[in-house]
Amino acid sequence: MSRTLITNARLLCPASGRDETGSLLIEDGKIAAIGDIAGEADTLIDASGLCLAPGLVDLRVKTGEPGGEQRETLETASRAAVSGGVTSMVVMPDTEPVIDDVALVQFITNRGRETSKTRIYPAGALTIGLEGQAMSEISLMQGSGAVFFTNGDWPVGDTSVLRRTMAYAASCNVMVSSRADTYALSARGVMNTGARAARMGLSGLPREAEWIGLSRDLFLAEATGCRLLVDQVSTARSLEIIREARDRGVEVYVSVAAHHLFFNETDVGDYLTYCKVNPPFRNEDDRQALIDALAAGEIDAVVSAHDPQPPEEKRLPFGEAAFGAAGLETVLSALLVLVQDERLNLLDALRPVTASPASLIGVPQGRLVEGLPADLILFDPDKPWHCERENLLSRSLNSPFDGRRMVGRVMHTIIEGETVFQR
Amino acid sequence: MSIPGYSYKFDHKHLLSIEDLSRLDIEHILDLSEEFAEATRAGRRPDPHLKDMTVINLFFENSTRTMSSFEIAARRLGADVVAMPIAQSSVKKGETLIDTAMTLNAMSPDAIVIRHSASGGVKLLSRKVDCAVINAGDGTHQHPTQGLLDTLTIRRTKGRVEGLKVTICGDILHSRVARSTTLALHLLGAEITLCGPATLLPSGTEHWGAARTTHNFDDAIEGADVVMMLRLQMERMNGAYLPSQREYFRNFGLTRERLARAASDATVMHPGPMNRGIEIESAIADGDRSVITQQVEMGVAVREAVLKLLAGRRV
Repeated sequence: MSRTLITNARLLCPASGRDETGSLLIEDGKIAAIGDIAGEADTLIDASGLCLAPGLVDLRVKTGEPGGEQRETLETASRAAVSGGVTSMVVMPDTEPVIDDVALVQFITNRGRETSKTRIYPAGALTIGLEGQAMSEISLMQGSGAVFFTNGDWPVGDTSVLRRTMAYAASCNVMVSSRADTYALSARGVMNTGARAARMGLSGLPREAEWIGLSRDLFLAEATGCRLLVDQVSTARSLEIIREARDRGVEVYVSVAAHHLFFNETDVGDYLTYCKVNPPFRNEDDRQALIDALAAGEIDAVVSAHDPQPPEEKRLPFGEAAFGAAGLETVLSALLVLVQDERLNLLDALRPVTASPASLIGVPQGRLVEGLPADLILFDPDKPWHCERENLLSRSLNSPFDGRRMVGRVMHTIIEGETVFQR
Repeated sequence: MSIPGYSYKFDHKHLLSIEDLSRLDIEHILDLSEEFAEATRAGRRPDPHLKDMTVINLFFENSTRTMSSFEIAARRLGADVVAMPIAQSSVKKGETLIDTAMTLNAMSPDAIVIRHSASGGVKLLSRKVDCAVINAGDGTHQHPTQGLLDTLTIRRTKGRVEGLKVTICGDILHSRVARSTTLALHLLGAEITLCGPATLLPSGTEHWGAARTTHNFDDAIEGADVVMMLRLQMERMNGAYLPSQREYFRNFGLTRERLARAASDATVMHPGPMNRGIEIESAIADGDRSVITQQVEMGVAVREAVLKLLAGRRV
């Protein structure tokens, strides 16, 4: 029986609200004891000056596996993940082939087990081939381990298909995740609609596309009783629309991408394609509203929205470059910067990346509780660092945080009691 | 050109956008252009400032007028000109774009004139070369020499730019000319009104220096000293942005009746090529108020000035 004892740590459990200095004992990959612990250990980690928290559960990660391994594999993504403190990731179904049947769900689960340092959970495709026409075998895929269902970056356009699919999903007690968008309005857009896009001669992604799509999804969730995870809201008004739905009793959860808490449209600067993401970076007012909502506990999950893109997809004119930002290595630091700025306290910053997303997908980790898997991180909340693209571990280096000064860094990552990363 | 007691240096490596220029920069280019224009009118050949230099014309979008204008300007200054018209279809997108730039750069040209269909595309290429890059139009973003030649034409015709009322009408949304010319004229103190249908008039034009925007051409043209009509792409008129040509002409076409609302000595401009009978009546285009051919003439002069200032500069 292997025993690891971590001492003198600031223990942070966002589920219970625990925030105190103490020790944590790991036995056989599980949290065995928390608090004042005496006794022998095979490994002793003195965590003075560091915080000990559950490892991050990231609900939105894209890799290139299968079909786009030049961008990222589960293995390379997991290396990036553990260096950013992410210990569980949900991978999106928009791969080649699309994860739309049982065998492919099992393939992802198995590949994850064989090659990835982190735990891998597949999200299943809501419709066959993500074509938005025929619903996939939701119940069977759920049985094989798909944790929720989504059409990924291609929200279902046909509202009646979505309605039927959500009604069916509700009957299977399955959560559906949908990015709020109206393709007819946003099809040609490349950055936030507004004065800046107009001046730069770039076509816009209008906010109304998000609001209309969001309203549609919420009405359908209400009508069908389907649990809905709104994927990456980006505007202040979207938060209001969600509040209204919650007041009506709709079971809706909401995620925000970490980069939307950090950047606004001015960061696109001189056509910086690393800042080309969808939903796009919006105005400063929107960014502030997202941070306020996070502080108020309205955001259920902060995701990395990790979307690796190689240089040949990004070293292009802005309009032609691919959407997407690498994010696994910066998601925690982006939150810790907000803690440093006194916009959030540590527990509120951690909750949407640990306990809250874990409970959304029904996995036990994400909290410091005896008997649960020892997926843990030690981080220094005050450590300054300089994000440089070439030092990132992801196979693709398309991080908008390139060149930014950050505060707060993961020093040690443990999964099932094993050290998988140390800085 | 030089102001006594005032030291000025044109300190740019590229010409990518009017946004990068100061008022002084623009006036300096216009003064120099005027000398070239006078020389040409007098039948004099300018000094061969670009002797033994090589200028590459790299056009990813079809253009006869702008490419010829740059070519003539460069040849007048004694440069060797290599034309590389690359239809967008024949060039693979992607890394090839940057690869093309790096390949040409390895041939050590003294200046590259680039037109590309993507906004920001020319800037992207300029980062990969170490000679001067002149933007001959990038997507719907900028066409700085057009902004300069429009400004020069106005300054010569009116004797000044400061305080003039300039109305620009048409497809503002997709126009790099509107973005360039508005900025340049604003820097020199003109009062600009942008006019077009709601579908072709973007928000935030005050950031380019427009004093006001309107969908009513009759209001927009009232008392204008200069009326500039923009070309309307035919594909915009099939119901996507506008119901029909005739409805557009009715509301936004420049007719003699409308022109009568402008100042009595109002000047009419158009960056070309014109759609006669759609945005402008032929009688006006060919009439004595029109300075459309002078714009073309000034185009060569401005490009001579820009090439003289930039060609041969290195990092």
